[in-house]
Parts: sequence; structure tokens; C-alpha cells
Amino acid sequence: MNVMDKLASSEELVSPGISACVGCNVELSLRTVLRVLGPDTILAIPPGCMGGVGVVGWDKKSGCKIPVFFPLLDNTASMLAGIKLHYERVGRPVNVVAFAGDGATVDAGFQCLSGAAERGDRIIYICYDNEGYMNTGYQRSGSTTKGAWTSTTPVSGGGRGGKKQHKKDFPMIMAMHDIPYMATANPAFIPDMVKKVEKAMKVSEGLAYIHIYNPCITGWGIKAEESIETARIAVESNFAPLYEMENGRFRINRKPKNPVPVREFLKKCKKFSHLSEEEIAELQRITDEKWNRLKGLCAL
Amino acid sequence: MKFNSDYLVPIGCEGIYEINTGKWRTKKPVLDREKCSRCGLCFLYCPVFSIEKRGKEYEITYDYCKGCGICARECPKGAIKMVPEEEI
Amino acid sequence: MPKIEVMNGNKAAAVGAALSRPGIIAAYPITPQTPLVEYLTQFCADGIIDSTMSEVESELSAMSVLTGASLAGSRTFTATSSQGLSLMYEPYFRASTLRLPVVMAIANREMISPQTLWGGPQDALTVRDAGWLQIYVEDNQEILDMMIQAFRIAEDKRVLLPINICYDGFYLSHMAEKVVIPDQEEVDAFLPPYRPEHILLDPEKPMAVDPLTNGYLLTEYRYKHMQAQQNALTVIEEIDREFAERFGRSHGGLVEAYRCDDCDAIMVTMGSMTGAAREAVDAARDDGKKIGLLKIRTVRPFPKNKVFELLKGVKAFGVVDRNVSFGWNTGIVYQEIRASLYQNNTVIPSVPFVGGLGGEDLTMEHFLVAIDGIYHAAASGDYEPATQWLNKEV
Repeated sequence: MNVMDKLASSEELVSPGISACVGCNVELSLRTVLRVLGPDTILAIPPGCMGGVGVVGWDKKSGCKIPVFFPLLDNTASMLAGIKLHYERVGRPVNVVAFAGDGATVDAGFQCLSGAAERGDRIIYICYDNEGYMNTGYQRSGSTTKGAWTSTTPVSGGGRGGKKQHKKDFPMIMAMHDIPYMATANPAFIPDMVKKVEKAMKVSEGLAYIHIYNPCITGWGIKAEESIETARIAVESNFAPLYEMENGRFRINRKPKNPVPVREFLKKCKKFSHLSEEEIAELQRITDEKWNRLKGLCAL
Repeated sequence: MKFNSDYLVPIGCEGIYEINTGKWRTKKPVLDREKCSRCGLCFLYCPVFSIEKRGKEYEITYDYCKGCGICARECPKGAIKMVPEEEI
Repeated sequence: MPKIEVMNGNKAAAVGAALSRPGIIAAYPITPQTPLVEYLTQFCADGIIDSTMSEVESELSAMSVLTGASLAGSRTFTATSSQGLSLMYEPYFRASTLRLPVVMAIANREMISPQTLWGGPQDALTVRDAGWLQIYVEDNQEILDMMIQAFRIAEDKRVLLPINICYDGFYLSHMAEKVVIPDQEEVDAFLPPYRPEHILLDPEKPMAVDPLTNGYLLTEYRYKHMQAQQNALTVIEEIDREFAERFGRSHGGLVEAYRCDDCDAIMVTMGSMTGAAREAVDAARDDGKKIGLLKIRTVRPFPKNKVFELLKGVKAFGVVDRNVSFGWNTGIVYQEIRASLYQNNTVIPSVPFVGGLGGEDLTMEHFLVAIDGIYHAAASGDYEPATQWLNKEV
């Protein structure tokens, strides 16, 4: 079955009307992922964009057709671990899934995620990385790119500023936990994302982690209709490569024959508009270095 | 105290919370079927799954379409155009 | 046939919890509770219990795993002390506001700073307004029995609240006493399985748990939560009576009064210090003082009516607190007792005593000094005597 038929014949499990920004590719990712996961799923949405737009619901109404809840910002993976342990005890196969922003994953929620990964709790943890605490007004996170404007790393009138440190290489950090499956994904590559969710569903010996790179059109200053295009250039420039790790073996899923300069990706986002030539060159250097490191891991 | 909720705890079990996002848009996508190659990219990339696959055809629905313009932008054949939303 | 064994408080807690058949246990070791976790892990490894144990990486994770497991429908148990309790405060508050009947043993330990490991109820008392039930026990038999009762109280449909069974670190956790272990069959008859109806994460019965909620609904949920705490006043005594019928032991319910029938002054204590306090009361009685002893067992819900009935007729009372309430310059239990007396224009001279902090012993001598202080307040009619500190030089 091709991916269009697969998605078209699956039930939509999220409310059809949620207040995500016009053109939000996180909304696209969530709906796609849930169509693959299916109705035997329990979904955790920690505080962040997807919770804020109504995916968990309001008052006495739910935002999903499946069980959904708000964990706390810092304990998503642990709450899911407890839920999964219960369903294993009663012998029922249920997908226990997190759909968490980078704030709840890379920063506040890291301890619990790291512990769950080490213990091998059999949950599926999906992070939507929009490089900041976007729901609360675009504050920086540990996953924000170096130099980016955020509301807590602003740019001065003289055009200087932005985040001083580069982002944590979080997919690699999770891979180094030696979990059975780690993959990066991108909303511009939907068939690839679908395959990866299906692989994650089949993991039975530990935690499966998927890191989706979601350029945030509102927070980064991207035109709504260019939402997918920007996500695509992030891959085509090797800035956010598509790769996976299965039981220690790394594989790059998309190797651009002629990688686009990182500058082309940065141009799409207003949050980088103040960068100097040195800063752009630095980001190119970092990209090239990490790409070579990734290729080296794949060669092992 | 008179209760608005019959429950002991905050649970959402009285239906699905929906926002009428179809009312948000200022422009809407229109599909020219003659140019359409049925590649399905508009269906894959619509963030609200507002484009439906019916057999081999793709059809744009408008109940929840926010008018983001991704479908028009991503269509390889230029078969979708964004036109201004009619005044109510 | 019930077995008799000599064991310390931690083991009594582990055995009591094990008999109650928790589905998921997630606990992080912390002095003085560590042996409790080790016993439970050993029971699991030996196949004595059928629980799933999660070796979590911190207390934050422990309470998080349990709130998740409880939402899915499991009976859950954990234990902690001081720093661990404060580390898990975020999910701790939530366990009660989601009405999850988690049972947590607390081996009470003084809070850092200064750097300390030793016993005292400061940790649990400081979080008394997070919505959990809290019962403070006096000896190891009570620890074991209360673990079993705790699940009944917490899971009662009139309550549905998490509960802390608190016992003094080192004084009880590490001290060995003779303990009667009930039979598993008797416990099973007393404690049916947990089946949540009010909240659940299950694809067969989908619902959103904890959506964003407007204030007027939040107010209703708080109201119902507080009603449940009031219901617990009845339920705790009911369960204590039923337990006494089935197992032959009662531990007093909400409070325990010793020699209060003909007293003219009362000393109030809590926890393991009560043992020495009873000896002091007996000595003072031999000396002609008609002193009585009131032990507070249940702090949440606070048994204000019981306290009022017992204290309203005395000339003076004193409360020995092994903890502090920083803004009031007294102990915490002192304030709760005083608040209970705010009825019918009752104004009685009372003395706040603070002592035994950081694991320092509260000896019979300390209690005799306290009793003197209480009679001094009665004689001088002082309604606001200064806090008396029972420290080492006494």
C-alpha cells in the first residue's frame, strides 16, 4: 500500500480544528504520526505548542479520539514508563507515545527521558524540535541554533546578539544511550517519517526515539506557505540530516548529491537575518563537521 | 455548591474540542483538475489534512482549511492557486 | 497463622506494602528509607511478590512513574524521605489533585540545610497542604498495619486520595521490634483489588486526562477534593475498627488520648517521641500532677473536633514539635492544635515546645521540663508564652 493510501485510509485521531498557527508543520507531523500509530495508542502531550492549541482538550472535552493527557514539563518519559509497565503487566499491547517539544525533551524533561532510555522502558518518544519554547513566546531552549534570535536571546539595536551557544545534538545524545531505535525525521519527507514511526512501533526491547525537525514559521519568521520548503532545505543543506540508528548501526536516509549551502536555509528564517558573514561561516563549519562525524559513524 | 461538572477530577470525556479554523482564512486554495497529476503531495503536506483522497482523485475540503498556501506552493504542476476568500 | 518476626521499621513497611499486592513500585533509595527499597527489590527477585519494580533515576521519576501507572489503573506504592520528597513535589501535588490513591511511606527525615540525615517530620509536615492524607505512626507494628490500611483508606470511593504513612527516620526505620505479620489470605480478604472508575488512560475507554481547565471548574474539583479529605475523617476510623475486628489490633484512628479522662492539663506529641512522653506523664502523675497525653496520628485531614473535645476543658496545654514553622516562631502541630480551639470563645494558655530537631533525642527529662512549662502557663494565665526550646543543654 503506498503511503497516500495508508494515510488516507487511517482514522484521523486529532480534533479537526486545533488552534495551531496557519501552516504549522508540527500539526502536520502530529496528524501524520497518529494516523500511523492508530487507535490503540495512549498519547502524552507535555506543556508546549500542541497542548496549548487544544490537542489535550479544554474543560470537559478532549482534543483526541484516543486517551491523551498532559504530563508535567519535566516528567513525560517517566509517566509513560509507568503507563507502559501497567499495560505489560495486564498483557495488552498498547502504543505508549510522547509527542513532546524540545523544551520538554532536551531541557526540563531530559532527566526522565535519559532514565527511561537507560532502563529500556518500551515507549515511543517523539520530539518536535522547533528550537525553542514557542508556545510561551519563543524563548530559547537547549535545542536552539547558535546565533538565532529568541525572546530570551534577543538581538540588540546594533544587530548583535542571538543565542551564544549551538544546539545540543540531541538525536546523537539519544543514540548514545544505546537504545534499539533512534531516527531523525522531517515534515518535508512524509513517506520517510511514516516508515520510521512504523519501525518505532515494532521496537520491543527498549525505548524508540524520533526527533522531528520542525522549522517554526511564527517563531523563526518563515512565510506560512514556505513551511515545508524550509524544512526541506534544512535536510538538503545537511543542517538537519535524515538518519537513523538501529541497534548501534547508523544509516543516513538522505544524502544530497550537491548539498545546498547552509546560508540558503538561514535566509528563509527571519530569526537569522542579523547574522554576520563570520557567524554564517561558523554555522556552515559546524554543519560540515557534524555531517562528517555522521558519515564516520555510518562507516563503522 | 451547584456543579458544572459531574466528575471528581479534570477529565475530558464529553466529546471532541473543535475550533472552527475554516473561518480563519483570508485566501483559499482552488484545484485545477486538468493540471493535476494526482501525485498526492498536497494531501501529504496539508497540515490539517483538509485535502482528501477519493479513489485516485484528490479533493480540497474547506471546513478546517486555514489558507496557509502550502498546497499551492508544493504542487509540482502549479495546479493549485490561492484566491482571496469571499467576503461573508 | 500469623508469623512473628523481629524487624526494623523499613522492613515492616516493605512487608506491609508487599502484602497489599501493589502492581507497580518505583522508589529511589534515600537515607533512612534505603533498606525499604532493597527489601522490596529482594522480594521481587525472590518471587515473593508479583509487583513490577521500576529502578528509577530520581524521586521525581518515582512519583511520575507511579502517577502514570495509577492513571492506567495499577495499584502503586513508593517510599521516600526529606530531599526526595521535596524533589518530587511537582508530581506529588498532582497525585492528590488527580485523585490517584498512591500509597507512599515516608521515613521522616530532617530537611537540609544544615547537612543532615536524621529523623524528624519536617519533610512531610512542610508539604501537608499538597492534598495528601497524612498519618504519623509510633511503632513498627503500626507501620506494617498502616501500610495495609492505607490502601483501603486511599482507594475508598468516598476518599480516592493518596496517603502518606509517616514514621520517624532512624528511631523507627532502623530500630528492630517484634512485629506480627498477618496472613496473605487475610489481607486479601481485607483489601480487594483496585479498580479506578473516576479517571483512566485506556484505549478501550478514551478520555482526556487533565485538559486545560477554566477556573470555575477548577474550583469545583477543589471543593470535591476537600470534601474527600473530610470524608477521610470517618473512613480512617472505620477502617481502623474493621482492621481491629479482623486482625485484633487497633491503633487509635485519628488521635490517641492517654490518661486524659481526669486530667487538668495536656501535653501533645506525635510520632515515636510519644513512647518517652508516656513515661514522663506517668512520672509526673506519680508526682501528683494530673497531666494527660494527646498523640496526634492524623495530620491530614486534621481532626479538629476531636482535638477540641479533648482540650477544651484543660487549664493549659503544650505541644512538643519536632519541626518548625518559620514564619510563626513555633512548631507546625502547635498551630494546627491552636486553630482547632478557635470555637466557642475557647482561649486556653498554651506553650509551643520545639525540640529533637536534626535527630537529637527527646528524652524523658525534656518531657518533664515541658510538663513543668505547661503548668507554669496554667498558673500564670499566659496565653502567648514564648516558644520553649528543648535542646541539648536541658
